[in-house]
Amino acid sequence: MAPPDNDVLWARSLHCALGGSDALSGVSLGVREGEILALVGPRGSGKTTLMRCLSGQLVAQQGEVWFNSSPVHTLGQAQRERLRRDRFGWIAPEPGLVPELTGWENVALPLLLRGASHRAAKTVAVEWLERLDIGVCARKRPHALTHSQRQRIAIARALVTTPSVLFADEPTATLHRADGAQVLRTLTAAARSHGITVLLATHDSEVAALADRTVALLDGRRVGTVPPASGAEGVAACSLSV
Amino acid sequence: MLALRLARGTHPLVLTRRLLVAAAAAGVGFLLLCTLGYAVGHPAQSSASVLRLLWCVLPLAATVQFAVAVARTDPSTRPRPGLSAIGLGPVRLTAVAAASTAVACTLGSMVALLFYLHLRGDITGLPFDGAAAELLAADQPMPLAAALTLLAILPVVAATAAGLALRPRSAPAEPEGVEKPVPSGLPWGVALVAVGLAIETYAGRGGSGDGLPLPGSFDGNPAGVLAGWVLTAFGLALAGPGLTYGCGRLLQSVRPGATRLLAGRVLMDESRRIGRPLGVVSAVLSGTLAAAALYASGTGPAAFGPLTGLGAALVMACTTATLLTAALESKQCREHTTEALLRLGAPPTVLRTAALMRTGALVAVFLPLTWIVAELAALPLTG
Repeated sequence: MAPPDNDVLWARSLHCALGGSDALSGVSLGVREGEILALVGPRGSGKTTLMRCLSGQLVAQQGEVWFNSSPVHTLGQAQRERLRRDRFGWIAPEPGLVPELTGWENVALPLLLRGASHRAAKTVAVEWLERLDIGVCARKRPHALTHSQRQRIAIARALVTTPSVLFADEPTATLHRADGAQVLRTLTAAARSHGITVLLATHDSEVAALADRTVALLDGRRVGTVPPASGAEGVAACSLSV
Repeated sequence: MLALRLARGTHPLVLTRRLLVAAAAAGVGFLLLCTLGYAVGHPAQSSASVLRLLWCVLPLAATVQFAVAVARTDPSTRPRPGLSAIGLGPVRLTAVAAASTAVACTLGSMVALLFYLHLRGDITGLPFDGAAAELLAADQPMPLAAALTLLAILPVVAATAAGLALRPRSAPAEPEGVEKPVPSGLPWGVALVAVGLAIETYAGRGGSGDGLPLPGSFDGNPAGVLAGWVLTAFGLALAGPGLTYGCGRLLQSVRPGATRLLAGRVLMDESRRIGRPLGVVSAVLSGTLAAAALYASGTGPAAFGPLTGLGAALVMACTTATLLTAALESKQCREHTTEALLRLGAPPTVLRTAALMRTGALVAVFLPLTWIVAELAALPLTG
């Protein structure tokens, strides 16, 4: 069954078991070109697993993943790595920078891995750092920067190749609210101006409000809405001693 | 008990490393017991016995270095969430590391004792019963207290060293990827190598002391030659980190691509961890090469016996194993980097090529250096 033409990324009934429990059971999803799609759900609802399946880091036990009308789930490990390097970007909750390299070298690394020349990679990397307002961090190593600066370097690293799809897995989870809002603004603005499709996983409804469309996950299934989390679980039942 | 329980569940490779420590400890213990046997058999030649005992310091030091390196890489000795949840912090884990090092070394010492008694003929029922009874003075009773004291040296020293090396620091741990200062030992190392070679050349020329029997046929001052050798070896070990740093610096210079950048930067950051054991290996190798040249040219009375061979093999094996263990430790410490790179979609060949490039650069620098130092060290004695 071929995917619809206007979907850049398309998944059908993904089943994925991780560590003995079903992380995904029958999730189907279509992502349109250039949109910002928020995946919402509490911790452990399968957001990260779904994104890893879609980006080819993980192959689901059942189900299909198509990117630009070509199958991803049938590719070999090396081809999926190549796809990830060339067409996808990934932002994790932790910056995950290479500690031995300076700011601009970290940003330029995806270009260097593609075989770009040193000079060209440096020019593009410094441009992106300026655009994200962290030009002063170009010559510093990650340990000398603040957490939000590191996270913005990670965003620059994901954007520097102008990927087709950007996967942002809780990009602001470890940041303070002010820093997080700023990081998100730069991320969405850069994505919109470059026409990059963004998949944004989050448990925060304020963050999800920035997206064009929202898909909710719960216990590895797609649901209509996520029930609001009750503050203190078990308060009503505290007379029951365990 | 906790050390034993943790050891029981560990990966076979980790256990193999511990067993290698035990094997090295057995070798050292056997050498020490043979020295004791010589002393018991030749009560008149006490100075020669002391000299033999002093030669045992070299394999002992190499084994302690190896034991500490293994303790540092042992996954059960670093803070883990599972153990810290039940209140086992860094202090208690240091004690666990020291205890497991002591256990491995004691195991080796016990094996050495059994083997020694077997060769003496005290334990029978196996092949080679009493094969070396004469050499090990089987006609004399063995002084048990002396034997146990000698055998206890290695476990105590190794456990103390492991405890000291892994002791929890009061300063907060520095974050990953902090720019390390440039190793400053290079000028000192070069100076020491030069001074050592000069002393050796000077001492090898004239004088006639025969306090220390050295291989080969020369009539110089052996104590001076030995001092020169020790200085040279020390200088090489001191210069190791600086040379490694220089290699890394060269690798990542002049518009590097991804592979050269990664290889060079990692080498620069790991120069201290990799450089020191590499310098020690280089020193041991050059000493061995020089000694081999002397034995080949000389016809002196001090022949190359099996115990000398055992000692030399122990020192070489332990220093090489320490180097490999240090490389493993540095790999373990860079797990985050590797993970980040793989998530970027970096092909594993890039990482492998970077590792090969590092090894190649180090070999290209250290192999000729070792050879030159060995040639220079052997020159005044054979020429």
